[in-house]
Amino acid sequence: MVALACAAGSTLGLIGVGSLCAPVLAQVPSVSKPVAKDAVKAEPFAMAVRRVTESQYRNIIRDTFGPGVILNARFEPELREAGLQSIGNAQLSITTSGFEQYFSLAKSVAAQVVSEKKRAELVGCVPVDVKVKDDVCTRSVIERYGKILFRRPLTEAEIAGRLKIAADGTARIANYYEGLQLALASLLVDPEFLFRVEAAEPDPANAGQYRLDAYSKASRISFLLWDSAPDAELLQAAIAGTIHDDVMLKAQVARMTASPKLKDGAKAFFTDMLQFEHFDSLTKDGMTYPKYSQKVADSAREQTLLTLMDLLVEQNRDYRDIFTSNETFINRALAPVYKVPYLSRQEWARYTFPDDAERSGILTQVSFLSLFSHPAASSPTKRGIKVKEIFMCSPTPEPPADVDFSKVQALDKGTVRTRLLAHQENAGCSVCHRLSDPPGLALEHFDGIGQLRKLENGQLIDVSAEVDGTKFTGAKGLAQMLRADKRVPECLVRNVFAYGTGRPTTYRDEDYLIDETKAFAADGYRFKDLFANIATSAGFYKVAQPAGLGPAKLPTKIQTADARTSIPLEMVK
Amino acid sequence: MSFTFSRRSLLRGMVGGVAVSVGIPTLDMFLNDNGTAYADTGARLPIRFGTYFWGLGLTDTPTGSRWVPSTKGRGYEITPELMSLSPVKDKISVFSGFRVIGDGRPNAVHWSGHASILSGIAPLRAGQMDGPSFDTKVADAIGVGTRFKSIEVSANGKPVSYSTRSGKSFATPEPTPLALYTRLFGQGFQDPNSPNWQPDPSIMLNQSVLSGVTEQRRALLARVGKSDQMKLDQYFTSLREMENQLAIQLQRPAKAEACRIPTAPKNEPPKSASVDVINANSKAMARMLAMAMACDQTKVFNFVHTPGQSETYIAGDSKIYHQYTHDEPTDAKLGYQINTSKLAGLVMQALGDFLTEMDAIKEGGGTLLDNMAVLAFSDTGYAKIHSVENIPMIIAGGAGGKHKGGQHIAGNGDPVTRVSLTAQQLVGAPVGEFGSGAMKTARPITEVMG
Repeated sequence: MVALACAAGSTLGLIGVGSLCAPVLAQVPSVSKPVAKDAVKAEPFAMAVRRVTESQYRNIIRDTFGPGVILNARFEPELREAGLQSIGNAQLSITTSGFEQYFSLAKSVAAQVVSEKKRAELVGCVPVDVKVKDDVCTRSVIERYGKILFRRPLTEAEIAGRLKIAADGTARIANYYEGLQLALASLLVDPEFLFRVEAAEPDPANAGQYRLDAYSKASRISFLLWDSAPDAELLQAAIAGTIHDDVMLKAQVARMTASPKLKDGAKAFFTDMLQFEHFDSLTKDGMTYPKYSQKVADSAREQTLLTLMDLLVEQNRDYRDIFTSNETFINRALAPVYKVPYLSRQEWARYTFPDDAERSGILTQVSFLSLFSHPAASSPTKRGIKVKEIFMCSPTPEPPADVDFSKVQALDKGTVRTRLLAHQENAGCSVCHRLSDPPGLALEHFDGIGQLRKLENGQLIDVSAEVDGTKFTGAKGLAQMLRADKRVPECLVRNVFAYGTGRPTTYRDEDYLIDETKAFAADGYRFKDLFANIATSAGFYKVAQPAGLGPAKLPTKIQTADARTSIPLEMVK
Repeated sequence: MSFTFSRRSLLRGMVGGVAVSVGIPTLDMFLNDNGTAYADTGARLPIRFGTYFWGLGLTDTPTGSRWVPSTKGRGYEITPELMSLSPVKDKISVFSGFRVIGDGRPNAVHWSGHASILSGIAPLRAGQMDGPSFDTKVADAIGVGTRFKSIEVSANGKPVSYSTRSGKSFATPEPTPLALYTRLFGQGFQDPNSPNWQPDPSIMLNQSVLSGVTEQRRALLARVGKSDQMKLDQYFTSLREMENQLAIQLQRPAKAEACRIPTAPKNEPPKSASVDVINANSKAMARMLAMAMACDQTKVFNFVHTPGQSETYIAGDSKIYHQYTHDEPTDAKLGYQINTSKLAGLVMQALGDFLTEMDAIKEGGGTLLDNMAVLAFSDTGYAKIHSVENIPMIIAGGAGGKHKGGQHIAGNGDPVTRVSLTAQQLVGAPVGEFGSGAMKTARPITEVMG
């Protein structure tokens, strides 16, 4: 059995193991593997195949070949499901045009790696004769990079295939580097690179249960904390099997949480949670908002990420401060939108809004305010729905198909509030609009790109609102309401867990989530601690066997409360 | 391995009775002998197929419609919202009164309509289809032999496509004229009329890059569960199509008399969802797509003008089209929603322009449009109430002489799948029936089939 060959190789060095290991599933060295009664039970199985995201792709290439490698391509759109793209992405594959892009990227990256400029640094060995194949040099390159790209050592067959591609190519064009380039490109279009294949194996500590295998575990940690593939040290812990040891696992997670790459992981998480993919197709009406430009949009996105990284990673502040802190960063493009002077010569400068400003927290930043608006108007409904969905895990039901809009007359005068209150007076509409609008109504002092205003059509805008019996006024009131709401930290814990595991939470996760939420509170709502706690918890690696594989059939019912579907923005009025 | 049938050998075979075993739609395609489907040289002009989608339907009113022609059959009069189609009136069939039958499934707003038209199944929920979109089957049947099996375009700035093989993963469309130009006429494009054609030696090297991956297919698929198999299967399908592209690039392309290589667009258009910008993009992209077909780069396309819940708007107006459809009251005097109908007309202008571009390219004895069939449709009928009844559908183009256009067909509540089936059979896809449940049909609309 292949698994035994791998186990036997576990004491060897990296290359040795790779050469002994057969396809992915069988690589887990498990010293204390019990003798299984049922041979089927002992077989590891693949439980999830997920396409690597654009940012993961970019980070892996950067970590593998250095930041100098340029990636010029359009990636396939991702899919948001149950509130997160990391869940939706589990549904996705690679379409024809997507494959064309990956193929052209693969050729371009490989060409850059073997280019005359970079080959000394990146190839790392010199062929005996540049016109002739050199298997030793090729093997060293393929093993070294293959291991990072595939997140595991390559099998001998995988290496041999690449040696052949390189040798054939070199023979055809009498150039060693062009042959090597082909072999590298073939790694970069391989499904084992482009998809994360998570595999499970019987848990030696708990008979009848399964756990993630060592390589899948290493990847899950590293994609959560760094949004990239495991580095050499983490991979070594997987090869040696020490990743299954709690003390060693904690040490790895502590090391990784202290790394500057934690910001990559945190940024990727918040980019997903805050639905920043909508920036890719965000448009504003130039006549209504002449200050708006692509530069403003890009800066707005960056501003929020900078603010979050500063508060949660650098300063290690209470997560709930993201709603109330008036500290942020601005740049030259954003300054006019915020109507503040920009005096710095730097690209970005710290800026603290005065205490009496209406702005505080990320909900009053241009990113949130412009993303969840119309091209030429604000939308309290969009904003309200997104506050509840993103920060409270409380989705608004989709509008009924046959809803009668005829009672809601268009009002060109007055404020948006007047029009929405009309919805609320109508029984058919009020069910949802009563829930969705209030947080958005509190943000109405900000127009469709987030500029401060007090008037709409000559009328003062009323920004009072009420959510679940709590009355408040304006953006600051909303921020205080969110800060005090228990659902906000609960929602973050749920999101981090679902994001890391790539699946929606189920009723079986509830006890776990309650415990993690308690720990989060006890730590003073520190985001970094939450990341680390989840990455070191057993629950994060628990495996439910997919139907049709192996003997144990666990229920996979999704709890109704969490079967949330993000409402496409276009349908929100 | 490839078989080449000449028209003559096929006809000879038929006389000998061989063709009895050939599927009827395929047979029909080859049978066509009316002079437009075949060029003077005897080489068969390819039949192309495309879908064209626009969001938010057309405007019905409590008492009538702004788009349904009042007379049926030939010589129907052009209605206000179809005005832009006047130049190609005789080459299109207008279908009204066809509907989605949900069999108890919910109306997923701005989704159930086109999901049903494309997959034949009322979807369980928004965002996914419960089967492949039929254009992929058409592409499998007729999209061979060209560099691209199909080309997807989105003219509204968002990367929207409803073409899917799995029902979950959707094609990634070209979102700008420049992106479309680069894909079609950038690297890898070979001028079919170049006198100095030489095979590019780097193509064989590219083939070797992919060969290693193909060999792993069986081993990888054996390891994963069923839903993951579907994902990986799609990956390998995409890989195979890349291999086909490379193989085609190694062959000397057949001459294409109508092919004129367009120039690259100079500037990216402004990023905007206003209807004037989308329409300008749409027109530029239609022209490029037409040339891609004339140059034999693809035979199948899927074009999205605006997505299901269209956010397009008239520049400077604070309300988007979607809001108007729902909020705007029916004008007491005129009897319809004024702004909604105005936007519908503007959106349809893009379809008129699109078809005019297709009709502008002379090919054989007729035009490119004569040698294609485009199924144009929307997500809803009367958008104000998210109706999935009376969804506007149009078949445009001669389909090589097979489509008898210039007609208005009233569906009387028949399922939309009848129109989908008709479109598939017009271009020779080997399909006998389409759809499921109450929308399952084996009855194409023979009135429009020649």
